[in-house]
Amino acid sequence: MLFQGSAVFSALIVLALFGFLVYFTLPLFSEGQFTELFSWHWRPFHGEFGILPMIVGTVLLAISAMLIAYPVGLGICLFIHGLGPTWLVRPVLFLVYGMTGIPTVIYGFVAVFLLVPLLRTTLAHGTGFSLLAASLTLSILVLPTIVLLINTQLQQIVPRLRLTTEALGISRIHELTRISLPSASYGLLAAAILGFGRAVGDTLIALMVAGNAAQIPGTAFDSIRTLTAHIALVVATDSQSTIYHSLFAAGLILFMTTTTVNLLLHQIRRRSSREGQSA
Amino acid sequence: MRKLFDIFIYSWVWISTLAVFSTVICLLWFLLSRGLPTFGKELFFGQASVWEAITGQVRVWDALWPACVGTLSLVFLAALMAVPLGISSGIYLACFAENPFKRILSLSVELLAGTPSIIMGLFGFALILFLRNTFFPDANTSLLLAASCLALLILPYLIFTTQAALESLTDEYRLIGPSLGLSQLQTIFHIFLPASGRGILGGVILSLGRAAEDTAVIMLTGVIANAGLPHGLFGKFEALPFRIFYLAAEYQTPAELNSAYGTALVLLCLTGLLYGGALALHKTLEWQWNQH
Amino acid sequence: MRSRLLSGLCLAIFLTFFSSLPAVSEELNQFANLQGEIDIAGGTAHIPVMKDAARKIMTQYPHINITVAGGGSGVGIQKVGEGLVGIGNAGRPVSSKELSQYPQMISFPFAVDGVAPIVNPVNKIDNLSSAQIKDIFSGGISNWKDVGGDDAAIHIYSRDEASGTRSVFWKKCLSRGDIVESANIVPSNGAMKIAVSRDHYALGYMSIGHLDETVKAVVLDNVAPTQENAINGLYPVIRKLFMNTNGAPKPLVNAFINYISGADGAASITSHGYIPLK
Repeated sequence: MLFQGSAVFSALIVLALFGFLVYFTLPLFSEGQFTELFSWHWRPFHGEFGILPMIVGTVLLAISAMLIAYPVGLGICLFIHGLGPTWLVRPVLFLVYGMTGIPTVIYGFVAVFLLVPLLRTTLAHGTGFSLLAASLTLSILVLPTIVLLINTQLQQIVPRLRLTTEALGISRIHELTRISLPSASYGLLAAAILGFGRAVGDTLIALMVAGNAAQIPGTAFDSIRTLTAHIALVVATDSQSTIYHSLFAAGLILFMTTTTVNLLLHQIRRRSSREGQSA
Repeated sequence: MRKLFDIFIYSWVWISTLAVFSTVICLLWFLLSRGLPTFGKELFFGQASVWEAITGQVRVWDALWPACVGTLSLVFLAALMAVPLGISSGIYLACFAENPFKRILSLSVELLAGTPSIIMGLFGFALILFLRNTFFPDANTSLLLAASCLALLILPYLIFTTQAALESLTDEYRLIGPSLGLSQLQTIFHIFLPASGRGILGGVILSLGRAAEDTAVIMLTGVIANAGLPHGLFGKFEALPFRIFYLAAEYQTPAELNSAYGTALVLLCLTGLLYGGALALHKTLEWQWNQH
Repeated sequence: MRSRLLSGLCLAIFLTFFSSLPAVSEELNQFANLQGEIDIAGGTAHIPVMKDAARKIMTQYPHINITVAGGGSGVGIQKVGEGLVGIGNAGRPVSSKELSQYPQMISFPFAVDGVAPIVNPVNKIDNLSSAQIKDIFSGGISNWKDVGGDDAAIHIYSRDEASGTRSVFWKKCLSRGDIVESANIVPSNGAMKIAVSRDHYALGYMSIGHLDETVKAVVLDNVAPTQENAINGLYPVIRKLFMNTNGAPKPLVNAFINYISGADGAASITSHGYIPLK
């Protein structure tokens, strides 16, 4: 049957992706390049091919971007749900929706010409191409994901509570921080997880503004390289080389990270919908 | 104490909102002020005459036209592959699938949606190397490969939006079909699909926007900075987002830099149009980002 | 009025005739009966010359399609070796390791180029010794004031592993010394120029052919990195630019290589700041 066939086909694509990545990474384990790749230095001219700096770079970038975007996103949600003037709610929502339509490459482009020179001249520390520049830009990219997820859940909770809390004379702030947000725990958690997944998977911003030095950054002003940027940067077609294998190792690690993130998300979504039914 | 807490929360909320507002305004102002003055025949067609360029009689140099055509062909081809597959998968999930099969299918579509686009690119790249070593020694990165990988990227969006649009139909719709004695297929084609058409169309347009903006996928699968108009399915091609990425690091003259601003503005208009269209068709798009 | 119009017309005709002259150059005739595609990838120093030639050939013969991509010398050699492109450019000779992997590789050198250390034009530094440059790139010196400049951190820009420019600079200027891991990585000669021209305290290295007023080439051990000094052997950090094919080139590729090596090619190579090999 046609419908079933196409659905199964769509599902098989995921398996194919995983299978390919594993198939191309397998030689790593058999040829003993494993320890070579999981070391701390990427210096191909000296025969060192460690991708650990890229893993650290990816994690640092994703976490720092989330540390900026999450509080800001949460603030915007509270603004929408009662702490901002009503006439501004629609423009703010419109803005957030609009941001989802801005291509990633444009965020990167504007960051290269506005943010990087700004960091370089005002802070006078480093080249501007840095962990800081990338995490600021990336936080703008993941912000709509966070806002829209939390907002969706608050939309289900706040209207139900508002009449009661106002009748009881509870202030808006009190209502939102003590009652609404705690009961929106699913949305809060999902936003954090999905936002992190987006941040880990982004290529262009890291590639354009993070500087791409394969090192462990000492400060936020240092340049970093992420796994995604590493894949984009190192175009290797020579299937014998360790550089080539590092591509697929990076790909596999990325794929497994985002898969874990999505499985986690799936799990908490199921739990929340089950609780929703029993309640 | 209580007062202090209130002030803290209020200032946090306002600062967050104003910061994001001003960032986006700043970004738009920057692109408009630098990009708008570059708009004109020169930006799109360089020295070539418009008619001769569009009809392909002369080659266009140092201009946007080949990248525009490249992006449009990419989006068209990707949609050609992904839309039928995505919509019929969505119909299956919404109307036919039973647990636990439905759960497994939905989960794998969710996983596909969460996969970074560079992985799709790497997959396409690996596929070519694999094909060269096995069945097709002449296989090469090309427009067709890039479009196929983009199709993988937008497939989950199409499935989710179709499924969500169908599942949001009220019970009356579900009762009409059987009460008229229609078969399940007839119900789907004559009642469900027309009723949820706006939602599905919104999803399709959204996925077109997604295909138009992605850079990471095509970087590994055949896009090139100087390719001219796409020469068939198996040729190399140019694309708008890649041109922006390339020129941001590699502009050699002030004219090329200006052209980069112009390109960025053109791409922003294109995706803005597509996302705006999708939003207009479906006012509540939350579920797309929700992956429901 | 009418005579002015007439003379204008004459001028226009004359100009059209004159400007169309180079297009019917004999060098281009060899493409007359050819058609098809050439994909070119690899060395980024080559790109201006390749684009120039491609443009001239394609304008005259629309049935020929030539695409030019970068990636770096290592990528060029790998891609042509694997058969993914027709011509793989490299800014360094094919290494013995690469040759053992792709034994059919044939190299066509066509130009000489130097690699110069570059700084931003506002930088006070004009002159560095190779010992100082080695110290800077290995991390021993990290402030411009230690080499006589402003009190500011040195921002080092380098290239990725595929770069021929990097390999030449590393061998002939850094004597295979270390390059600090904190160096920012840019993907091409063009990108290097942009990065250094936008950063007041940058230090990078680049193909001499790409030099223009937006960056300043540093005098190395009292020898200015110019093409003249590269020809007369005074400037040491030089290399040849190669086109590589896997096996004997097909007719169209062969014609392209002939064209680059011919008089038209030489003019284009010179105009882009390189020295044609003759």
